Amino acid sequence: MAQEHCVIIGNGPAANQAALTLRENSSDARITIVGQEPFPHYRPHLLPEYIAGRLSQEDLCVNTPAFYKECGIKVRLGQKVVHVDFNKRELVLDHKEVISFGGLIIACGGKQRIPEHLQVFDDLMLTLKTPADAAQWIEQLSQVDSVLIVGGDLTSLSLTKALLSLEKRVIFMLNEDSFWPVPLCNELSEKIKHMLTERGVEVIKAGRIKRVTRVSDRSIEVETDNKTLRVGILGAFFGMTPNVKFLARSGLDIERGVLVDEYLQTRFDLVYAAGDCAQVYHPTIKDYWVSIGYQNAINLGKIAGLNLLGGMLSVDASPESIFFVDGIIVNTSWWTEF
Amino acid sequence: MPVVDVTVEVCGMAGDGTIAAGGLINEAMSDGGFSVLAFDSYPAEIRGFGRCVTRSRIGNEEIVALEDKTHVLISLNDEQARSRVPFLSENSMIFFDSNPAVYVREDKSLVSELDPETILFGMPFNDIATASAGTTRGRNLTALGCFAAICGAPHDLFRGVIIRKFKSKGEKVLQTNLRSFDAGFDYALEHFSNRIKSIFLIPDKVGGPKKVLLSGNQAIGKAAIDAGLKLYFGYPITPATPIMEYLATHLPALGGRVIQMEDEIASIGAVLGSFYAGTRAMTATSGPGFALMTELITHGVMAEIPAVIINAQRGGPSTGLPTKTEQSDLHAAVFGGPGDSPRIVIAPTNVAECYHYTVKSFQLAEKYQTPVILLADFYLDNRVENLPMPEASESEKSGSNVLPENSLKGSYRRYEITESGISPRALPGMEGFIFSATGLEHTQTGVPDYSPENHMLMTEKRHRKITGALGDLPSPEEFSSGGKLDVGVIGWGSTFGSILEAVTSARNRGLRVGGLKITSIFPFHESVIRAFMNRCSEILIPELNYAGQLANLIGYIHSKDVVRLNRVTGTPFPPSAILEKIEYLVQVGDE
Repeated sequence: MAQEHCVIIGNGPAANQAALTLRENSSDARITIVGQEPFPHYRPHLLPEYIAGRLSQEDLCVNTPAFYKECGIKVRLGQKVVHVDFNKRELVLDHKEVISFGGLIIACGGKQRIPEHLQVFDDLMLTLKTPADAAQWIEQLSQVDSVLIVGGDLTSLSLTKALLSLEKRVIFMLNEDSFWPVPLCNELSEKIKHMLTERGVEVIKAGRIKRVTRVSDRSIEVETDNKTLRVGILGAFFGMTPNVKFLARSGLDIERGVLVDEYLQTRFDLVYAAGDCAQVYHPTIKDYWVSIGYQNAINLGKIAGLNLLGGMLSVDASPESIFFVDGIIVNTSWWTEF
Repeated sequence: MPVVDVTVEVCGMAGDGTIAAGGLINEAMSDGGFSVLAFDSYPAEIRGFGRCVTRSRIGNEEIVALEDKTHVLISLNDEQARSRVPFLSENSMIFFDSNPAVYVREDKSLVSELDPETILFGMPFNDIATASAGTTRGRNLTALGCFAAICGAPHDLFRGVIIRKFKSKGEKVLQTNLRSFDAGFDYALEHFSNRIKSIFLIPDKVGGPKKVLLSGNQAIGKAAIDAGLKLYFGYPITPATPIMEYLATHLPALGGRVIQMEDEIASIGAVLGSFYAGTRAMTATSGPGFALMTELITHGVMAEIPAVIINAQRGGPSTGLPTKTEQSDLHAAVFGGPGDSPRIVIAPTNVAECYHYTVKSFQLAEKYQTPVILLADFYLDNRVENLPMPEASESEKSGSNVLPENSLKGSYRRYEITESGISPRALPGMEGFIFSATGLEHTQTGVPDYSPENHMLMTEKRHRKITGALGDLPSPEEFSSGGKLDVGVIGWGSTFGSILEAVTSARNRGLRVGGLKITSIFPFHESVIRAFMNRCSEILIPELNYAGQLANLIGYIHSKDVVRLNRVTGTPFPPSAILEKIEYLVQVGDE
């Protein structure tokens, strides 16, 4: 394995940590990262700071391209994997390029989750996952003075702080979709409302969104069960879902994410999954759980890299830190980090 | 307005429409008011295989050379375009077909070669072209549409050029190309709306005289016509053939004739015959054809008959590299042929000089009654620049035959010894004069004479005449701030643009460096060159030949060995290689 071609699908924290781990432990391996986004590996949690103007785009980057060159890791950006053939051990990119691999780590991360009833308004809402999203925020914020945030997650809270620093009016809409997959009980809802209000955010409880209409270049009208609001930007923050649709016909076991054992191995030899796209089996609770968060992704990336080289490290997640939400088992550490 | 300096490259297989796409970019950018310098390279074979590459440097300031690095690559064939990857700049943009007809393995893929900073624009060229125009033939235009949209070039700018180029081919062809272009443009706007780069912002008002796109060969052809060319004799050879094609298109309508001869020997023979009769004529060839001409060129020297010969140099020796550039015929042009046969050799360095020195060649040939060789090269012949349409004044175009005075009737001596070496030349039909032309050594009256005294006398006369031509030849041009220089860079031909770019960069970095452009290769202005060399600690002479042929010719003037920088890659001299050498010489000098 050490001298074969190790391919990593994804360019987030799990993917990059896996690549670096492979390099550190195998000087001969040919390592390729294939990332769908055109951006070098960045820290997504700093995007709000970038929007606030406190960081440059370069500040978001974890490593320079030169670093990867020095490490002998080939990084291919803006290139999407559309199919993986595990029998032939080949993956296909969207421009019909075929890449052979000896070992594979799937760390393609998650994509923004938009609840089904809001998907029809997709083009009227801004999300924040990538620098391209951030660029859209920056462009639109220069023209508007108010933002309505629906849903709610770690990113939305950081962004709210950034928006306040830019002296924008921020309205935060709390409803049952907020802070998915955490169950928003009354107690938690009040706690969040208090925290946000203290910082100058207008918190409303407005039920579900029924209609979103663009009124003008600078104005969007949002109609809910009990309110109609006019704001400059509508921001949607409903967490992430594993971005594994391209693997649907590959023969991998997929539920929401790629199902892997506690060693992060899939049902195929020398094929691992790590980070937000993986559902990891827990031998104690005898079920699968999803890891969310930057640091967790790094930990999983490291384990996947070591195990691909022959290691047998299992993921260390105590049953107490995992809880059930909406049918999924979630590792809570992302929440406690906040 | 931001400074624009972008090198755009189109690369494909022969038959992909690569050269056509590059040409459209050049025309559109020129119409938009930008400076353009472009160069195509293509295989020697006629069609069907081999790599075609067009490189266009586009800017809003004067451009004197191609840049080493490419900022935008439009790939019409990824396998061919892979070879261009080493020449890409950081953060370059790549346009490529994202849905090729067959799957491509990693080791054959263009994209697999690219650095992660590369900005990718993958689009299904074939699919877009087929959907819009019913054929993939316009896929090069589709790619162009994507490029235009992403780079922020106005839609109508390209459409205007496409209409101009294709309207003569009929409505169907025109519409196919327009639809293919529009579809690519629209696709890019729809799919890459957040990645539009406003690179080619067109100025509201373009200042200065209107510019036209002209290749070196076109400039030579136009100059010949403006100079009153009546007869062109030639045999096709790359890269000189476009001169014949240009003249075949334009000269007959003006009463002239273009005649394809059986070979180059016949061509130069006919040119000598025409000038002998007092009619301006020209031939153009390349190294192998020039080699065939040399015996008759020296006949022109001996018989003192004018001739204008264009030698469009290409890679040699022999058939060599027909579609690659080189500067390796300097020795052949200056010394080629039997005996002491001095002749005038001029080497233009850009398209404007191709025009002006061609015009000048006719006057020089007539006045000094000798073959004049204009030494161009593939890079200069095929290069396209946009410039104000070159024109020559009446005095530049006028005839300059030195005719005998009427008073000499009866006592006229065709090869009379004069102080200048120029003997008045009677043209056939002039009443009262005799007409002599001989390749044998001869007396002043033209009678064969092989005596030692006569041969010395006539050889001196012929050399004196050519040396005297210096006064009519362009003096070397210096590009420096004057004073003592650490490095002086001397160059000729198409390489001088690269030298000027490198010297300018070095001076901008605070180095004491200057450039000297030599266009009169033979005779050359020894005193001017010596004065320049004396002010320089080191003399660097970059050339596209192996031994350093200009260095061989003028190197003796310098008090110490000149530094040669020679390449035979078949490609234009990269300015960076010259700059690197300059910096090295400065550094060594400092130590």
